[in-house]
Amino acid sequence: MKGSMRRIGALVKLSLLELWRRNDMFALLVLSLVLLVPLSLARPFGASGATRYFDEVALLLVWCYSLFIALGIGGRLFTSEFANRTVYPLLAKPVSRGELLVGKYLGAVVASWSALAFFYILWVASSLLRGGECLTVCLFQAFILHALFAALAVAAAVAGSFLLTPSASTTLLAILFPAMFFFGRHLPDYAENVSGVLRGLVNAFYWIAPHAEFFDMRQRLVHGWGGVEAGVFLAVVGYGVVYSAVLLFLAHFLFKRKRL
Amino acid sequence: MEDKVFELDGVSRSFGSLKAVDNLTLSLGRGEVTGFLGTNGAGKTTTIKMLIGLIRPTSGTVRLFGGDPTVSATRARIGYMPEMAYYYPYLNVRELLSFYGGVCGMDKQTVKARTDELLEEVELVEAAKRPLKTYSKGMLQRAGIAQALLNDPDLLVLDEPFTGLDPLARIHFRNLLKKLRGQGKSIFFSSHELGETELLCDNVAIMKKGQCIYHGPVDRLAGDGGGNLERLFLDVLKKGGVA
Repeated sequence: MKGSMRRIGALVKLSLLELWRRNDMFALLVLSLVLLVPLSLARPFGASGATRYFDEVALLLVWCYSLFIALGIGGRLFTSEFANRTVYPLLAKPVSRGELLVGKYLGAVVASWSALAFFYILWVASSLLRGGECLTVCLFQAFILHALFAALAVAAAVAGSFLLTPSASTTLLAILFPAMFFFGRHLPDYAENVSGVLRGLVNAFYWIAPHAEFFDMRQRLVHGWGGVEAGVFLAVVGYGVVYSAVLLFLAHFLFKRKRL
Repeated sequence: MEDKVFELDGVSRSFGSLKAVDNLTLSLGRGEVTGFLGTNGAGKTTTIKMLIGLIRPTSGTVRLFGGDPTVSATRARIGYMPEMAYYYPYLNVRELLSFYGGVCGMDKQTVKARTDELLEEVELVEAAKRPLKTYSKGMLQRAGIAQALLNDPDLLVLDEPFTGLDPLARIHFRNLLKKLRGQGKSIFFSSHELGETELLCDNVAIMKKGQCIYHGPVDRLAGDGGGNLERLFLDVLKKGGVA
């Protein structure tokens, strides 16, 4: 057990080093600063409604960035190992494919969480500068759920990279997640209005697809509606954990079958 | 203590309709150095991948230190250097060895001591702080041998270790392998470099179309025709075996 933890720890550290030494990560962070700070500090005509609107846009950008980071990190987590042939000496060490998967996944999740924490700190700082009261339970819940979504997106990208080519997988997920984020909640209504096989397909898709919208608490945060009930919060946490675990099991299955 | 470091017994491996390795039986004794020869596509790399547990044979059995190489714990006593790995370009060689040490389950002090020792050995002390992306091919090969030796393995498996090395690096690498042989390490390496193989090996195994057509002492092979290994290698390939 101790040896296994040490191996996983080394893999987590490797993933973190890999991600934080890449220039594109810094480019994204600088871009986020350039876009988020003016948006968060804007006070058009002193109208509170307009300020909230800018706040909401800023948070939407945070969602977009976190999704791109998660998909980018997850998508190349193993493809770079195969492309550089580093997977061979690595798997010749006393490390199992399961440990390799878990270690690299955890490293990627921690890296994406650190970027997410940076975005939220920026948003909170700008909100506090404007005299807002954002350090609430709602903010805590919003961050936790957003972080879980990032973990789920990384798991999806990792599983996708074993199933499809990296670019195809990332493109597909970059369409699927925003589509679910904006339209996922409307799928049951849509299913009501169609019939036959299509209704079955829409319903099946509704139950199978990852519900990004479950993790979205932007409206509550911006409009000060307060947090969700503990039961609902825990249910979404459970959904995120189970969904990510299923994706990781799928990734492990595909990794074991992959021809080396 | 096991006599054989590894044993391949009637091992075959197919990829679709292609039979990469066909009914191969091969073993390596403790302290032996065996060169694994053959033309491109003869099945050498596939055999090495089965040996270190990267892939499973379609049929037959592979035993590494008496165990199954696909079980991760069995691989604790081997060091493997692939044909050409680029390693992690953003790490320096110390970080690379620290990472592999962690993966091997070694503690930090041991990894540090071993890293200092190996960097001296492969002459990478001066370049130790440079990212690996700035290394030449030969330097990467030396980093590769350092990672393979990190856990002080009983068996070294090297896939084309002389590829990309300049003459000086080649001599240095040959001397390093001789030193390891002197320490009683078992070494199994594939190569196209017949001269190096002749200088280093006790035995050679020659592959052709997935089958082993010769496995035995280098001197016996050389003795058959009284010539150098290069000419004899070509003879064996033409004949399909040694009389």
